[in-house]
Amino acid sequence: MTEATQSNSATAQPEAMSWDSKSRRMVMLYVPLACFVLILLFPFYWMTITAFKPNAELYDYNTYNPFLIGSPTLDHIRHLLFGTAYPRWLLTTMMVAVASTFISLLASTLAAYAIQRLRFKGSQYVGLGIYLAYLVPPSILFIPLATIVYQLGLFDTPFALILTFPTFLIPFCTWLLIGYFKSIPYELEECALIDGATRLQILRRITLPLAVPGLISAGIFSFTLSWNEFIYSLAFIQSSEKKTVPVAILTELVTGDVYQWGALMAGSLLGSLPVAIFYSFFVDYYVSSLTGAVKE
Amino acid sequence: MDMITRRSVMLGSAAALAAGGASAQTRTQATPTAELNLPIERGATLRMLRPVRFVGPDEDVWRLNAARFSDRTGIQVRVDFVGWEDISQQTAVTANTGAGPDMIIGFNEGPHVYADKLVDMSDVADYLGRKYGGWMTVAQKYGKRHGTNSWLGLPFGATAGPMVWRKSAVNAAGYSAPPSDLPGFLELCKKLKAMGKPAGFALGNAVGDGNGFANWMLWSHGGSLLDEAGQVAINSPQTLAALNYVKELYQTFIPGTIAWGDISNNRAYAANELWLTSNGVSLYFALKNDPATRAIAEDTEHTELPHGVAGGWPSAPLTLNGMVFKHSRYPNAAKAFLAFMLEAEQYEPWLDANLGYWAHPLNAYRAAAVWTSDPKIAIFRDSMNNRFWNGYKGPITEASATASNEYLLVQMFASVASGQNSPQDAMREAERRARRIFRR
Amino acid sequence: MSATTAATWVRPKRDPSWVVRLFDWKPFLVFACLLPAVGLLTVFLTYPLGLGIWLAFTDTTIGRPGKYIGWENFEYLLEDRNWWNAVFYSVFYTGVATIGKFALGLWLALLLNNHLPFKSLLRAIILLPWIVPTVLSAIAFWWIYDPQFSILSYLAIKAGVTTENFDFINTPWSARFSLIAANIWRGIPFVAISLLAGLQTISPSLYEAALLDGSTSWQRFRYITFPMLLPILAIVMTFSIIFTFTDFQLVYAITRGGPVNSTHLLATLAFQRGIAGGELGEGAAIAVSMIPFLVFATLFSYFALARRKWQQGEGND
Repeated sequence: MTEATQSNSATAQPEAMSWDSKSRRMVMLYVPLACFVLILLFPFYWMTITAFKPNAELYDYNTYNPFLIGSPTLDHIRHLLFGTAYPRWLLTTMMVAVASTFISLLASTLAAYAIQRLRFKGSQYVGLGIYLAYLVPPSILFIPLATIVYQLGLFDTPFALILTFPTFLIPFCTWLLIGYFKSIPYELEECALIDGATRLQILRRITLPLAVPGLISAGIFSFTLSWNEFIYSLAFIQSSEKKTVPVAILTELVTGDVYQWGALMAGSLLGSLPVAIFYSFFVDYYVSSLTGAVKE
Repeated sequence: MDMITRRSVMLGSAAALAAGGASAQTRTQATPTAELNLPIERGATLRMLRPVRFVGPDEDVWRLNAARFSDRTGIQVRVDFVGWEDISQQTAVTANTGAGPDMIIGFNEGPHVYADKLVDMSDVADYLGRKYGGWMTVAQKYGKRHGTNSWLGLPFGATAGPMVWRKSAVNAAGYSAPPSDLPGFLELCKKLKAMGKPAGFALGNAVGDGNGFANWMLWSHGGSLLDEAGQVAINSPQTLAALNYVKELYQTFIPGTIAWGDISNNRAYAANELWLTSNGVSLYFALKNDPATRAIAEDTEHTELPHGVAGGWPSAPLTLNGMVFKHSRYPNAAKAFLAFMLEAEQYEPWLDANLGYWAHPLNAYRAAAVWTSDPKIAIFRDSMNNRFWNGYKGPITEASATASNEYLLVQMFASVASGQNSPQDAMREAERRARRIFRR
Repeated sequence: MSATTAATWVRPKRDPSWVVRLFDWKPFLVFACLLPAVGLLTVFLTYPLGLGIWLAFTDTTIGRPGKYIGWENFEYLLEDRNWWNAVFYSVFYTGVATIGKFALGLWLALLLNNHLPFKSLLRAIILLPWIVPTVLSAIAFWWIYDPQFSILSYLAIKAGVTTENFDFINTPWSARFSLIAANIWRGIPFVAISLLAGLQTISPSLYEAALLDGSTSWQRFRYITFPMLLPILAIVMTFSIIFTFTDFQLVYAITRGGPVNSTHLLATLAFQRGIAGGELGEGAAIAVSMIPFLVFATLFSYFALARRKWQQGEGND
């Protein structure tokens, strides 16, 4: 589809170029944009339509047009909401994501502040160490990690996730925040120090407010990653009511070699919608504040 | 709190079920046997993990039975269900941390992988074997440590993957039933392809269907991964013959089977795109229970796959295999629970509830009502009397589990089918990997 | 713990603001600030990582502990076709997907940087692919790529482009590109939104000046937009590379490394061998073998893109 638009705009360009700026804008801006939106949203459209289709229509492309729903049904959604512990999974996932994001932000803000603003001997090496921690893939860590989680008595509790997710969140957040702190002029802090403020006061009153954009983008990133996490959630949680949405949907809505596509897709949709709505409020702030930070 | 409500719900449905008469009487003939002597630990509570249900009643009856156990013994049992693909990871974590459930029902070689970490099940197995007419062949193979009489696991059932075919298509090709010899079968597939009603078998990394097809091909040509002593024996003229056969057979398949997972053939078959494949009974029941596809179910037959030179149906049934971990604080309670679940009063209703998806491991359960409920599922009844297992002809070990979990044979066949490798190359590659896996 | 011991030691000074003083004492402040991050990472990452690296030098299986076997696992991998294949595909996958993500993401960001109606709604919509859990979008893609029920094949057949279903994941090369397409789909939003943020920092006066000088739109992009975007591009790219290289869920859910191992990434091969197959030692060795690549990729993007710009920025301070 992308190729189609490219050739489209290529052929349309010469004639549109000349004077007619409106149609030029159409071809150069709205058509590609529409294609992007179409492609990015198509899988969601597909999920939505599947979530409301009765089973009989799912595989029969000859009798039913696959893009439409013959007789929409709420069965899949009903099954999801009342036949499974879905609302609970959703709540757990939210809780885990919020808590691990909070912990990661706290830890990384402090660490980034120490590394970037306090400038002690060897601070680069600590920074590098934290950054390298990011390179370790969870897929191989989870067996040894499971032992530790068990020894700490966290097995099969949400804390197993809340405390292990930061391992892949902190490196990223710290790195990002170091970048933001770098952009804040030292003069501000030095002035405050001369005025007799303590370092903690400086962090709280001056540095942090200036780093809010960084905190927000780090927060969004962390939240999304926690929301998505699969391997740890699969390995450390065994009780079905304590599972997170991605794991629960896969383990509870697939029966043997038969997939409950409708419920599966309904689950994915319902799980993403709250976050999408939440982000739609945030994204403006995120973009505009990111803007401010980089400008400095 | 949750336990209590759940239990009272269960008891409610128990009454309903009993009123229906479904479980009032069992058909199984039990041989009078001395009671199992398992002093249950004080204050025992149990947790178990098992693969997710295939049909709804599986879970309901299972929970009901567990609740009955709690009523009789006062031991609370918590049952959690896990996706089929995920059970191996959960077992790995449980075995390596010594945490989590007391018992897990896994698949096939599971107990052999974790042999060092399991409680010996011999007493329970001997008791059940004496009481219910003895353990069937595959149950003995997967249950016992190789070459001994000590039981590592307690098989709960199995399902074989017979040929599933559309009567109308096979008849239209000029056969009353699929030929039982390999050349004839190839001929049939060619005709089906020509009619636009192709056959298809999974050649992707599919736990059940992929391994099932690869095993069948190899064994029906007289090849095997290992010899009886456990030495790698894949490099053989028989293997080569099997590879050449698949090379030809693949040409008759519906496109895309190299990408197939376990669910793919179910979908294609239900959509009238695929007319012959192999699968467990799940396919048939999914069709039968949906009004939209009932006609397909009526047109569907199950037959054993062509035996070739194998002496018997060359299919290793997918086996549920229960294990109790040494880390459990209440091993006797756990054993008692598993034994309880395999007793006729519990097991037979469960077997019936599964509609034939799981076939019994103990001979006496042949009499269960499910096997006469629908003639089309009778073929599954003796699934566990097959003489084949993953890693045939060798002993079942940790390494044989690795070979099937790595899809060693599937990849050998798929690489030939796709034209990526010549049969010789594919065989040599498989041998190289097998030697590494079985190096100790 | 250390806070209290230090506190008792300070107390005799009878200074009412000893806590404040303590926290203003730089070495302690550094220690206190680093403690949460370093503590968490040590317990939950360094230790298991050490264990993981140790595993790579043993023949441990999932069922029993192993013994030290030196470099044997690595020696085996060096002559293992599948490992080389996974190395190749990991690099290829990362390279092509990153280029695709950044080319399309940048284009999308440029489009979004215009005056548009419903702009914030649009931005929220565009973030969707990034929000939905990977496992679930992977399942949706699996279905979209299905050999029999692909909606794309259906469309193409209806449109008369082809008469047969597309072969998305049944042959090695098409499977490789199908996975890359799914990865790009997932990655575009983050790149686009981040670059959009970068774009908005560029002062319009720069463009106005360039317009007055009679520049073409390509020149404006090449000499204003692109250099101004470099710092943020560097950050986003580094993380994107790491994410792509260690990707697991997408490949595992859609092809599981098939057809015939042609789409295994190092991460999925490590999982396949280590966890599913039970050869923990060998799986760990495969995972460890990823580290040099990751270090290289990071250094590359860090030095090639970031370093220069940041140093300039620091010079300005």
